[in-house]
Amino acid sequence: MLARADTFTRVAAGWLAFIAALAIVGPVLPLPDFAEADFEAMGVGVFSPGHLLGTDSNGYDLLANVIAGSRLSLLIAVVSVGIGGALGAAIGIASAYRRGRADYVVNTAFNIVLAIPNLVLGLALVAVLATTADPSIPVAPARRVVVLIVSLTIVIVPILGRIARGATLSWTSREFVVAAKTMGMKDLDIIRRHIVPNVLPAIYAVGVLAVGVVIVAEGALSLLGVGITEGTSWGAMISRVRGEIEYTPHAMIVPVVALALTVIACNQVGDYLRSRLDLRESRL
Amino acid sequence: MTALLALRDVSVAFDTPRGSLQAVRSVDLDVPAGESVGVVGESGSGKTVLCRGAMGLLTTSNAHRTGSVVFDGHDLSVAPRDVVREQFGTGMSMIFQDPMTALNPVRRIGAQVSEALRVRLGMGKADAMARSAELLRLVRIPDPTEMLRKFPYQLSGGMRQRVMIAMAIACRPKLLFADEPTTALDVTVQAQILELLRDLRRELGMSMVLITHDLGVVAGNTDRVAVMYAGEVVEQAPTRALFARMRMPYTEALLNSIPKVDQPSGQKLQVIEGRLPDPVNRPSGCGFADRCPYVQPKCRAEHPPLAADPDGHLYRCWYPLGGAR
Repeated sequence: MLARADTFTRVAAGWLAFIAALAIVGPVLPLPDFAEADFEAMGVGVFSPGHLLGTDSNGYDLLANVIAGSRLSLLIAVVSVGIGGALGAAIGIASAYRRGRADYVVNTAFNIVLAIPNLVLGLALVAVLATTADPSIPVAPARRVVVLIVSLTIVIVPILGRIARGATLSWTSREFVVAAKTMGMKDLDIIRRHIVPNVLPAIYAVGVLAVGVVIVAEGALSLLGVGITEGTSWGAMISRVRGEIEYTPHAMIVPVVALALTVIACNQVGDYLRSRLDLRESRL
Repeated sequence: MTALLALRDVSVAFDTPRGSLQAVRSVDLDVPAGESVGVVGESGSGKTVLCRGAMGLLTTSNAHRTGSVVFDGHDLSVAPRDVVREQFGTGMSMIFQDPMTALNPVRRIGAQVSEALRVRLGMGKADAMARSAELLRLVRIPDPTEMLRKFPYQLSGGMRQRVMIAMAIACRPKLLFADEPTTALDVTVQAQILELLRDLRRELGMSMVLITHDLGVVAGNTDRVAVMYAGEVVEQAPTRALFARMRMPYTEALLNSIPKVDQPSGQKLQVIEGRLPDPVNRPSGCGFADRCPYVQPKCRAEHPPLAADPDGHLYRCWYPLGGAR
């Protein structure tokens, strides 16, 4: 897949693989506990002894936090894009294949959801879903994560659903779909064997881009105070130190750089996949 | 003899913003078992719509088909979708003009050819692959087992069309619709494909509807010809009779528009001047009146019905070539 990629794309793909690997093996790495403060080294800079990326003003190790944060950030992004992509693709393909009134309703619904800015929609959904009857009892952390994932999934569904719908519309009008019909194939077989394999690459490409979007959205929601409260994510880290940028700027810079690099890498890889897709079409 | 496929009073209309577009108007056509019927006409004359309409493939919500389509004893015009689909593949199947778009670009040839066998005949994967290789051999593809592993873009146009034909005949259909099967191919390959279709029809006892704009293609490959113009059949006869004695000025014009080898160089090619009548607001008279070299006042005033010669030669003209009416 990456055989003919340029250096930038290779580096981007390498970075994503590196971050994913760190997220997975993080707990077994010889690092300080991300939730335990080192009171003897509060706010030390990068390359301090025992703290490779330094600590924030409360003495939390930044490297341990970035790695632990990548787990939650990537989990939320990958799960919501995975579920949202699968759901969006299913809806988009089915409605474009059926055409007619059902398709009109689906397309209108997608457009309405797309018209609402991502962040506003996510914020509203979290605010509605992650509440308890008694405001003094905080929402359980696990439920917050689930609500965050559900909200971001709802944001993703129309983005990928529209891509799937558009791709399906163009592939359904191809002659080989008519040919499959003239051979007596059932609609479900045609969709499974002819439509889905052609639509999936577009979904993958936009899906990788969407992972970047969701990582940013998660960070933004944290900053707005509706993100992760227990545990840590990149957004939570940025949110936690936002008042201390003058005293320990590296505590802000470290998670921001990690987040920015990952989002840039997602965009690069997504763009590369998309360009490969166009290439394959034009080669025919 | 009862026909394998009998179209009676088949019309196809599309709703458009300008009004109802009559693409096919009240066509009667019989395809007897084992015979090959040519449908000829220029672009936009309704050949393809007729054929897709007959198969029930016009599924867009703005298409309307009326009339009856009886295939092999089943009235497809009233049958539910499942019954119509039962006829596809094993009863009738279709090959297309452009083999480039008629194959799925992301799937291997083997998967595509064996698909109909597995879905329609319930064959296992290994059996279907073995049979696919046989089919490819049947359509004269060298080294079939190697071919099964290739992707469509690795094949030439002629090879792709052979693969399409292999797919279409996989389930031994009784009737094959060939929608301009050679238009996208170069001339030498055209001849090979037509010869292949001729051989396959003989070997499998298959009927064929050959759609083309080329009377030359019709001449050697069909038993009967229906000439279409502006959605109507304007002349229909056994192929020999048609070429021996054309009755329609349109058919004559169509034949004259084919360049001849012995024509002196530098001479202009013959064309049929003018255009097809507007399919939404049709003129009241003969649709060909504005382009016909023999036009008379009656042609513009009244629409000619189909007339028949004693030998069954049908034509739609007030003043047919060779006189009488």
